[in-house]
Amino acid sequence: MSGELQLPARVWAFVVRDFQLAFSYRLEFLLRILSILFVTTTLFFISQIFAAGFHTPYEQWRNPFLAWITALPFLNYFMVGFSSLAEAIRSEQRQGTLEGVLMTPINLPTLIVAASAWDFVLATFHSFLYLLFGWALFGVEFRGNFLLAMLFLLVTTLVLASIGIISASFAMVFKRGDPLALIIGTGSALFSGVFFPTELLSKTAGSFFGLISNLLPTTHGIEGIRRVLIQGHGLAEVREPLVTLLVYLAVVLPFSLWVFTRAVRRAKREGSLIQY
Amino acid sequence: MARTLETDAAQRHERDARTATRPRADEERRAAISIQNVSKTYPVPLARVKRFFRRDVGEVTALTDVSFDVREGEIFGLIGRNGAGKTTLTKVIATLVQPTRGAVSVLGFDSVRDEERVRASVGLAGAEERSFYWRLTAEQNLMFFARLYGMSSRAARRRIAELFEQFELTDLARRRFGELSTGNKQRMAVARAMLNSPPVLLLDEPTRSLDPVAAARMRAGIGELVRAERPATVLLTSHNLAEVEELCARVAIISGGRIRAVGTPAALRDEHRRRESVRLTVRGASADEAARILREFAPDVRAEASAGDETEVRFTRELGDERLDLALRALQAAGARVVSCESGRGTLLDVLERYDAEHEAGDDAERETSDEEAARDSATKERA
Repeated sequence: MSGELQLPARVWAFVVRDFQLAFSYRLEFLLRILSILFVTTTLFFISQIFAAGFHTPYEQWRNPFLAWITALPFLNYFMVGFSSLAEAIRSEQRQGTLEGVLMTPINLPTLIVAASAWDFVLATFHSFLYLLFGWALFGVEFRGNFLLAMLFLLVTTLVLASIGIISASFAMVFKRGDPLALIIGTGSALFSGVFFPTELLSKTAGSFFGLISNLLPTTHGIEGIRRVLIQGHGLAEVREPLVTLLVYLAVVLPFSLWVFTRAVRRAKREGSLIQY
Repeated sequence: MARTLETDAAQRHERDARTATRPRADEERRAAISIQNVSKTYPVPLARVKRFFRRDVGEVTALTDVSFDVREGEIFGLIGRNGAGKTTLTKVIATLVQPTRGAVSVLGFDSVRDEERVRASVGLAGAEERSFYWRLTAEQNLMFFARLYGMSSRAARRRIAELFEQFELTDLARRRFGELSTGNKQRMAVARAMLNSPPVLLLDEPTRSLDPVAAARMRAGIGELVRAERPATVLLTSHNLAEVEELCARVAIISGGRIRAVGTPAALRDEHRRRESVRLTVRGASADEAARILREFAPDVRAEASAGDETEVRFTRELGDERLDLALRALQAAGARVVSCESGRGTLLDVLERYDAEHEAGDDAERETSDEEAARDSATKERA
């Protein structure tokens, strides 16, 4: 089989394996669907507090439920991009299967893509559920260019996946204790404007927090998607967040691949591939 | 079984034909695995910090200057006690651990520079049960790994069916891996190693946990692999020395991370013990008479009466000397009849024990030397 054909075949191998593993825990699968329904419903009722006489200078936040339901599934997607590889490696190390996988003639870029593939399939399904419940149960309607929203989704996810590769390098070498998980994982919900406008951060907490918000790629991703889906902006109007994300991608992706290659080499030197 | 092995050989032949053009020197063509001066020291985490706080930073040296070749189509045994370095060496060959110094090549491919090609040529069956997905069935597990080897679904299914038949796992194909017995998990590990019919197999205790019949079948299967038209090369590590003697053309003894000896099992035994003990059972001569007759040829002779009117006589001799012949003639000349004759030579266990004792003695001597040096240093410092 040629190299070009091997990548899809191997990605498929991982997707099938992870589906089979997920299917062996059926109850967890059902409970996750229920939890998405509960979160969506909770957000809807919180938004009803502001239903009458709610005035805000922030255009995207005139319907808070719409702002939340737009950001949450995409944040979910971004976070999968960030955490899936590190989580996949931790899981293989925990189970002791990483050596078995690395004994096969699979190269590192293929492993990176393939190990995360199932998480993206699942995240797509979960994100779809958020939007479906919002639309079917609570009457949310989106406008704007869906293709442009998809472009934002793709670029932001790639940026976060690149940072996720660095995070996976920490998992490979230090097993536990990943500073990026703290900064990106828990910081994104606070600093990226998922639950409130980022402008409020600078206004009430100082410009330093506004700077942190601006440094996070998730902020630009969510801002771009909201502008497209809520405000109906076109490509010309969302050029700024899009270019910012592309610059991030150009810098972080090659760096992360370099770091990951070195991390694997170090784990092999230390003989700690299988350890967790 | 035979059909499966023929298929193995055919697949190997096909693959060899595909890779026939790759450049390899004549010397390398004869060595399937070439290990040159390989050393492996596991680094200590935060060594500099520990040294700063004057804590003893003892690096773990797993392998020291290991060199040997495994020839194409050979079953090569690697024996040693727990912690001797067998598993580390196997992992170095399998590209899972990088050597600190030295080089390993498999079929001419360097284990660091060409690691993907090495992995495509090597099948590793380790003793680690956790290397499978316990929630997946036996079939699902092998299917996943077959896909990673680049096999199509149809080819993978066919190959897995063959391997299940070969390892008597067909009835357990739909059983979750976690529900299999330890022996069957071991068979799964060997089956996975053979999925893509690799030309080189690294088998780490392949018969561990198998019942005697299954172990015998496994040994027969391993033996057939190297007798096939396109024979596989097998590096076998085992604590079962009888198994190593039965299967391996050559054996390396590893102790304290160093290769102590390499040779055929017979040569290692003979080198270790050039003497053998002889036990004769005779009739028509009392114990005293037999001892008197034989003392001339064998000063260490011991004779005692055994069951009935038989006498058991024991003495030792140098391999190939005339003592046995002279003893038999002398006994017959005295009117005695030799009922049976048995001889016992050294086993691989004797050889292993000897090298291990040497290694420990070496360690003690080194420790004593370093203690003496430390004492001298300390005395010098005190004087200063």
